[in-house]
Amino acid sequence: MAPSSTTQVLLSPAELSYLHSSLALSPPIRPDGRSSTQFRPLVAESDILPGANGSARVCFPDGTEAIVGVKAEVEKSRWRPSEEHGVHLGTSGGDLEMDNDDEEEEVSGKSAGKGVGENSWAEISIEIPGFRDDDALPVFLAAMLTEALLACGELKDRLYINRGFHWKLYIDILLLSQPLSYPLPLLSLTTHLALLSARLPKLKSELDEDPLFDDDWDASAYLYPRDSAGKRLYRPPVTLLVMAVGGNIIFDPTTEELAVAEAVLAVSVGDSTSSPKAPSAPSNLRLLSIRTIDPPSRLTPPGVANSMNTATGGSAPTSSQDAVAEREGMEQQGVWNPPRGGMRRKLVGKMIKTVVEEGGVAEEVLDGLAAVES
Amino acid sequence: MTSLKRSYAADPNASNLASKVYVRSTKSGKVQKIVGELYLRQDIPCSSKLCSQCLSIAPADYKNEVQRFVLSETPAGTKRFPNGHYLVPDTNAFLNGMDLFEVETAFHDVIVLQTVLEEVKNRSLPLYHRVVSLTKNEDKRFYVFFNEFRLETYVPRRHGETINDRNDRAVRHAVNWYGEHLAQAVKTRRSARCPSVVMISDDRDNLKKAELDGISGLSLSNYVSGLDDANRLLDMISGTREERDRKAGKVELIYPEYFSLSKMITGIKAETLHQGIFNVSPYNYLEGSVQVPAFDRALLVLGRENSNRAVSGDVVVVEILPKDQWKAPSSKILEEESVNKNENADTEEGEAVFTERERRALQEEVRKTHGQSKEGRPQPTARVVGVIKRNWRQYVGHIDKDSVKSSAKQSRTQQTVFLIPMDKRIPKIRVRTRQAGELLGKRVLVTIDSWDRESRYPVGHFVRSLGELETKGAETEALLLEYDVQYRPFPKTVLDCLPAEGHDWKVPASLDDPGWIGRRDLRDLLVCSIDPPGCVDIDDALHARPLPNGNFEVGVHIADVSHFVKPNNAMDKEASTRGTTVYLVDKRIDMLPMLLGTDLCSLKPYVERYAFSVIWEVTADGDIVKSEFTKSVIRSREAFAYEQAQARIDDKSQRDDLTLGMRTLLMLSKKLKQKRMDAGALNLASPEVRVQAESETSDPVDVQTKQMLDTNSLVEEFMLLANISVAGKNYEAFPQTALLRRHAAPPKTNFEELANQLKVKRGMELRTESSKALADSLDTCVDPSEPFFNTLVRIMATRCMMSAEYFCSGTQAYPEFRHYGLASEIYTHFTSPIRRYADLEAHRQLAAAIEYEQLDQSLLSKGKLEAVCKNINVRHRNAQMAGRASIEYYVGQALKGRVIDEEGFVMKVFSNGFVVFVPRFGVESLVRLRDLGTPEPEGSFDNENYVLTASGSRDAKVELFQKVMVRISDEQEESTGKRKIRLQLL
Repeated sequence: MAPSSTTQVLLSPAELSYLHSSLALSPPIRPDGRSSTQFRPLVAESDILPGANGSARVCFPDGTEAIVGVKAEVEKSRWRPSEEHGVHLGTSGGDLEMDNDDEEEEVSGKSAGKGVGENSWAEISIEIPGFRDDDALPVFLAAMLTEALLACGELKDRLYINRGFHWKLYIDILLLSQPLSYPLPLLSLTTHLALLSARLPKLKSELDEDPLFDDDWDASAYLYPRDSAGKRLYRPPVTLLVMAVGGNIIFDPTTEELAVAEAVLAVSVGDSTSSPKAPSAPSNLRLLSIRTIDPPSRLTPPGVANSMNTATGGSAPTSSQDAVAEREGMEQQGVWNPPRGGMRRKLVGKMIKTVVEEGGVAEEVLDGLAAVES
Repeated sequence: MTSLKRSYAADPNASNLASKVYVRSTKSGKVQKIVGELYLRQDIPCSSKLCSQCLSIAPADYKNEVQRFVLSETPAGTKRFPNGHYLVPDTNAFLNGMDLFEVETAFHDVIVLQTVLEEVKNRSLPLYHRVVSLTKNEDKRFYVFFNEFRLETYVPRRHGETINDRNDRAVRHAVNWYGEHLAQAVKTRRSARCPSVVMISDDRDNLKKAELDGISGLSLSNYVSGLDDANRLLDMISGTREERDRKAGKVELIYPEYFSLSKMITGIKAETLHQGIFNVSPYNYLEGSVQVPAFDRALLVLGRENSNRAVSGDVVVVEILPKDQWKAPSSKILEEESVNKNENADTEEGEAVFTERERRALQEEVRKTHGQSKEGRPQPTARVVGVIKRNWRQYVGHIDKDSVKSSAKQSRTQQTVFLIPMDKRIPKIRVRTRQAGELLGKRVLVTIDSWDRESRYPVGHFVRSLGELETKGAETEALLLEYDVQYRPFPKTVLDCLPAEGHDWKVPASLDDPGWIGRRDLRDLLVCSIDPPGCVDIDDALHARPLPNGNFEVGVHIADVSHFVKPNNAMDKEASTRGTTVYLVDKRIDMLPMLLGTDLCSLKPYVERYAFSVIWEVTADGDIVKSEFTKSVIRSREAFAYEQAQARIDDKSQRDDLTLGMRTLLMLSKKLKQKRMDAGALNLASPEVRVQAESETSDPVDVQTKQMLDTNSLVEEFMLLANISVAGKNYEAFPQTALLRRHAAPPKTNFEELANQLKVKRGMELRTESSKALADSLDTCVDPSEPFFNTLVRIMATRCMMSAEYFCSGTQAYPEFRHYGLASEIYTHFTSPIRRYADLEAHRQLAAAIEYEQLDQSLLSKGKLEAVCKNINVRHRNAQMAGRASIEYYVGQALKGRVIDEEGFVMKVFSNGFVVFVPRFGVESLVRLRDLGTPEPEGSFDNENYVLTASGSRDAKVELFQKVMVRISDEQEESTGKRKIRLQLL
């Protein structure tokens, strides 16, 4: 279970209860009047750091803002004796043969290029004001983003240069503001944009030579390659925060909404390129990972029902355990009761469907981000 | 969602700020994206004297002076541009016609754009240096305009534009700006003549676009044809381009393609490829060798295909060939001119790498090596797969008259001819010229432009003619050019560094003068100098006197050059690049200006001079008790020639103190020498001859071998002692940065052949485990019937050795300091600062070591010292070779028209000829089988016994070390145009 969000929302049990019941309506009424799948407007720009390979800045209207820089460095690969490559020992007589081997490999190289990448080639580090880099929140967020990033295998393979070398990708995420709300979606969107704008210098050397690069930056190629028409072949993943109140599924929750969430999921979505689909196919998104997030609502103070209030003639429970047990059985309107327990399978299924389905939320988000000009 | 993008262009404050982004790969393999900012200014002047506006805004330097404007108000006009013109060359104009820009009669008022300069720098560093030196030449009026930094001429790169296109656009833009700017300037001056601004480019696309933009642009050849003397100038355009245009169709590619740079570097790292300098054998032009660190022995590169367009001196990358292709080094003389005669330079049809004759010659070779016994030890062979660095320079040679079709002088048709370089290791160069008739029989200077895969020979262009073959001027200049000796007179900046008093300079009379501080007054010592006759640059003087305790005080006094040549001034820089004085037979090319070398520094007799003295206390047995170093003032009592000194010492009637001192010196020198010999110093020999010249015309009249007198060795011993003492002192004071000289022990393999030859032919043993063993075993190589035999062996042994080199003490471990030949642990050069830069540096270090003065920073930096050492090592070697070549030339001239029978010794035997050394003249020459008689006699070569037996038209048996009588006559060598002696076996 993920560590919960950081700042406590200062809302009274009555307010929480009001918020909860309006969100539980069908259709839900959100405090800012958005529909359940509507996102808040955000300000985004990419390619803002001239010295980085790719970069982006995203600013949410609640004041949270993040910058992501992507840097790529050439790194020597560890030597892996694998069946695929065989073991070549440098014998002086065998030079010619070796050359032939290389050529053969190159011919079949297009398909053999799959799976050559390693997970250690991408590294995400997150800086959040007020947190040490080994605090739970940044570490957990980084782990979640890395998980999503590596789940689509194309990126790793893209970092492969040759048998001796690979690109090592450093993604530095910097949250500029205090983490007012759970920062995962912000960081994910910014990372997504930065990766979209990231470019790698053009390789001039061939095969297993020590890599040499074109010194013209304009000749560099996008990390996420595009086809001749300029359309990206596949895109970096996004991780969305989805919450449920009652039977309702609500996207892009604000801090206040999170304070009454019954369940929160982090859903990572990416392009599915593994199945050869016609490029015209509108959506071929796939689910990369799901993580449940401990909703902050669990830590909110419960409202006190009349039956438990001595002032209103009720009888106060003798211990807190009793109080919890008593509240469990109660289903009383207007009294805030922090949610407990897990999610229903059906609900999870529904959430995923809303995200991934054709014309769903993820598609909308990805298309929106793609429109950000660099 | 909204997206927002701020653009720099929108920022009103940033109009003068641009940035550029590029990728940099570091040595450690890192790849970085680099962002540079670029501040654009408006005060960069156009530097035309026509323009008053730029003059008013041009920035001033710290002296508040504005840099002088360069471009003339009245630039030269041509038919096309009657109002005069400024030239703006594009990068390719410099690349294709650098020599043209250096011509003195044309190409004035040239604007070198920064864009172009940087591109030239990226393409070719040597060319870049030439352009830069042109911009410093005031007469040529070249101006570097920093167009990338001027707001109006800065051109941002467009989206999707290649760098080349952008740069071309920047050039056109700058040309355009200049045009408008000048028109404006002329208008304000109200003068009528407005010079045109002409772009010169060999890029058709660029010219086309210029035409569209309304800019006058011409190709280099178009422009040159409009000049006077166009025929001569047109020859100087590099041949490459035209050639390529001409053969746009498909051509047969003769040579294999080079590997890509990254492939080579990976290969070198993985040790599957090897890097080294490509050397061609002087005896066989098809056999090259590359010495690589991974192998003891040089790798052989056989044949044109394997040498793959490498020219002797290039840094190449080679790949080892499979073992079944390994071969023994050839035992056959192959000369290009005898194999490939009568080739037509113009036709290239069906041109293969090997001509049929070459192939036959080589095949014979292979058969021979295959038929050999196992002991024929095949050596690893290799093929060149790429060139890391071309070391092409300008080559002196002459035109192959067989390749000239119409030699009529009037004929101005362009034809392709072959130039045969003087250096036999350089292949023929194909040159297109319109003045073939005129150039026949002349020494000419050419450059190699390129060597494409489809061309059997490199393509070059003509630079200038040095004069008739065999005239003294042309030959001397040719020699100096070949050995890269800087022979131009000293520039004014250097002469400005000389003392203002000139020849009237004197040691200050007053002892309070700053010149006397820290200087010891040694004027009362009986000092004298001993040098070769006619020597004017006297570096060293000596004295000796008995001490009361029975020991002797011996002093070596060296000219105090470092007093006059201060570090880092123009004179020091010039001396440092020259590195050494070069002695030719009839000429001396000084390292320092005459005033210093032959007067102020020279320790002339009877006058007071500053000196740097090394003074020892020596026992009668030649043991050093103590040594000290001091700056001093001396007065030499006499300057002797070796013979004179010898005569004075031998003359029993002379009993004055000076003579007694000299006798002491001689006595001590013999003891020192004995000690050195006991320690294992080698007594080596190299053929040294003197050319006696007629005093007036300096035409050579006779050749003599140099005589060795006792006094020669007297001076030598004390100089060695001084050098060793100073080396020790300097090393002690500066363990990291002392400039020293070392002579590495030769690898054992070097002596293998000679040892084997001695064993087989004479049953003698050559031991090479140490210099002592070598010295002793050389002493045993005596043939009682032939006194010269020992000298011959020594000469051959000398050739097996490494050459001594200067180095910086921090770059080697102490045991590596050893001087093999002198058997000294440490050594430097200290005693000839007038003629060697190394000595000058040693003086400075010693002066600092004795706390006479502060050491200059440049002498404390290992990197700088290493660069100095590298240069003086090269200069030293070149000077030696130039001197030898000069002697060779004069020996040829002295023997011109004469026929002499002389005895000689066989030094080397090939399967189709042998080399004979004639001690009388110190010359060696090749005698080919075909010289023995016509038709060429059959030769049978016994490789193991070094015997060549000729039969047929002439029966003869020649073996190694054999004494033979030869008839010496002279001939002009067809291949090199040199007059050389020719030997015939009697």
